[in-house]
Amino acid sequence: MRFTFTEAQEAFRAEVREFLRSEIEAGTFSTQCGDLIQPGSREFSQKLAERGWIGMTWPREYGGQGRPYVEKAILMEELFRVQAPIGYHFLADRQVGPALIHFGSEWQKEHFLPRIVRADEGVAFCLLFSEPNAGSDLAGVTATAVRDGDDYIVNGQKVWTSAAHAADYGWLLAKTDLDSSANRYESASEFIVDMKTPGITVRPIVNMAGQSHFNEVFFENARIPAKSLVGEENAGFKQIMAQMDYERAGLERLMQNYPLFEQLKQHLRDTDPSETPEAFRAWARDQVAQLEIEYGIGRLLCYHTAWTIDQGKAPTAQAAMCKAFCTQYEQRVNDMASQILGPVCQIRRGVAWSPLRGDLAESLLWGPSYTLQGGSVEVLKNIVALRGLGLPRK
Amino acid sequence: MDFGMDEQTAIVRDTARKFFREQCPSSRMREILATEEGYSPEMWRQMAELGWLGLVNDESYGGSGGTLFDLFTLVEEMGRALLPSPFFCSSVLSGPLIEEAGDQDLKKALLPQMIRGEKILTVALLGGEGRPDFDDPTLRAHPVDGGRYELTGTRLLVPFAHVAGGILVCAKIEGAASDGPTLFLVDPNTDGLECVPLDTLTKERTFALRFNRARVDGDRIVGGLGQGGAHMGHIWPKATVLKCAEMLGGMERVVEMTVAHVKERHQFGRPLGALQAVHHACFEMATCLETTRLVTTQAAWLLSQGLPAAKDLAMAKAWCNDAYKKCAAIGHQLHGAIGFTEEHDMHLYSQHAKASEMTFGTSWHHRSRVADELGI
Repeated sequence: MRFTFTEAQEAFRAEVREFLRSEIEAGTFSTQCGDLIQPGSREFSQKLAERGWIGMTWPREYGGQGRPYVEKAILMEELFRVQAPIGYHFLADRQVGPALIHFGSEWQKEHFLPRIVRADEGVAFCLLFSEPNAGSDLAGVTATAVRDGDDYIVNGQKVWTSAAHAADYGWLLAKTDLDSSANRYESASEFIVDMKTPGITVRPIVNMAGQSHFNEVFFENARIPAKSLVGEENAGFKQIMAQMDYERAGLERLMQNYPLFEQLKQHLRDTDPSETPEAFRAWARDQVAQLEIEYGIGRLLCYHTAWTIDQGKAPTAQAAMCKAFCTQYEQRVNDMASQILGPVCQIRRGVAWSPLRGDLAESLLWGPSYTLQGGSVEVLKNIVALRGLGLPRK
Repeated sequence: MDFGMDEQTAIVRDTARKFFREQCPSSRMREILATEEGYSPEMWRQMAELGWLGLVNDESYGGSGGTLFDLFTLVEEMGRALLPSPFFCSSVLSGPLIEEAGDQDLKKALLPQMIRGEKILTVALLGGEGRPDFDDPTLRAHPVDGGRYELTGTRLLVPFAHVAGGILVCAKIEGAASDGPTLFLVDPNTDGLECVPLDTLTKERTFALRFNRARVDGDRIVGGLGQGGAHMGHIWPKATVLKCAEMLGGMERVVEMTVAHVKERHQFGRPLGALQAVHHACFEMATCLETTRLVTTQAAWLLSQGLPAAKDLAMAKAWCNDAYKKCAAIGHQLHGAIGFTEEHDMHLYSQHAKASEMTFGTSWHHRSRVADELGI
């Protein structure tokens, strides 16, 4: 047992921190709360790639470093601390690579993994899961992929697809067994789709933060080669669920508005006690201490999940619990910050009057998405109840 | 980061769990609670034989030389079984306090007896206002002839004072050069000391002590004049984290009982546990338990390593208080009326949650420490 990091891990953290400090100093990016999976900057991703910081946990034979998940968690914690622009490789690193390593064909592994690890041009991914009538109930997807000779022909609509407009490839879940009597959990398959394929149309949706961050994606007889199929035909749902266990509990679920919390604490330190009523100060201290406790516990949950994966175990209920806990904490941070800062919390960045560099307004606008993306809190609670506690479904 | 349990700790846990399952099932626990003593002298002897009463005391006094972490695990199991016993006041508080503050003569005289189970010790932590006041005790010691002192004041909620062979208490010596409180070891049979039994939520044997010019010899000062507060302050963090361990054990049992109940109990033609509202309530309990386990274990580990732990300990107790209480509330809600009966165990745990919340600092107190650590 050990609740501190080893010297080697501390040295690694220091190395990452130093790299990020010099990048910020050089003006490569600035720390601001917003959207972690914005299209990002390939140049920045390449700098991480040069240091072996993409695909860190993947086996060496595919260009990875074979390092433990706990070390990856250290890297991610430092990146999120300063909100580094990692959108270019983020999904491929977190989700696509591990899924290919588990389920992909040799051709797929050789074709994609080394390019992802190097942050080559043309390997930005998006995830084509949700549909207008299949959100939390992912097994209800109705987009179809029908085998036609050496190809599949894809039809249907996807929605809420983050960064699809900037993606080179999409990771698609579509029905392959169209027999209406087929088991709904055993009738869809996963594919990698080149987003330039004729028949694919991407239409941006403006979100409540005013950004074209997610999209609708339409497939009209889009013809993709059969080698795009990932894993087994009709095993897509199971594959996604297995993969989610590993990718659900990253620190991104805790740290989307991390700079906001840091600034809030600094704001309270900087406030002259004589200028605030004593009762207000006592209240604010209590509330912020509660958030600090929740943050500390969320961090423990994330590292515990990473450690569990390193022990070779599937952290199914644990990862779901971690994400549910952490995203709810994130939402409380911006609410509490607004109660402490008052009416100016509404002023968005760009003017001198916007508090906490405008991160507060930004976080309030993104807030409702925290507990939705990647599985709503309610779905996560069900996973813990059913798979963790063994409660009955019926 | 390594969240794995050491082999030694796993042995302590397995041995303790088996022991309490066999020796202290809920039926037996209730019998013990109903006795005059409020603990089982027979089980106390067995616990002494297992080396538990002096688990963290030095081997030279007959202790087992175990780690704080071993003790954490043992106390967790006691919380799970809701063991009625003076273990916390005697072995968790007094034993380490004597070993920390006492001189060789006192340690040699007292510790082996305590560790063998022949003498129970207790600590009178709370002043008449009901708050721990070892920094600035309301109890006064008035120096009289012959190097003796007369103690005057009230102490509340003193556990097992009726069976204790010694009561440790901090008092302020009037007119002393040193301002700091001094620790005394008081004989419960001293003239001028009245022991009033209190009826409380948990039925644990606990007392109000009225000191009315109770005479104590000068050689009953433990750890030097004006040093009492410092000694208490030294063992306080460890005792706090061990209270968290006890609470963690209680929570485990509440979650187990409640999850088992909703799987068994049928309404609307299906198990209660098939209802999504119940799923979500159970999720909250499971999360309370898992988070409490992580945050209290972290504090215990840091303390056991001698690393700085002020903030982590405050986080642990604040969280533990709220989480146990929340689990108990959900437990009651999901059990329904049966959980409100005397015969069901649920209420024993919910009252334990409240009583433990009130010891070693409420949530507000500990959040205030966290805020101090944050510099806000």
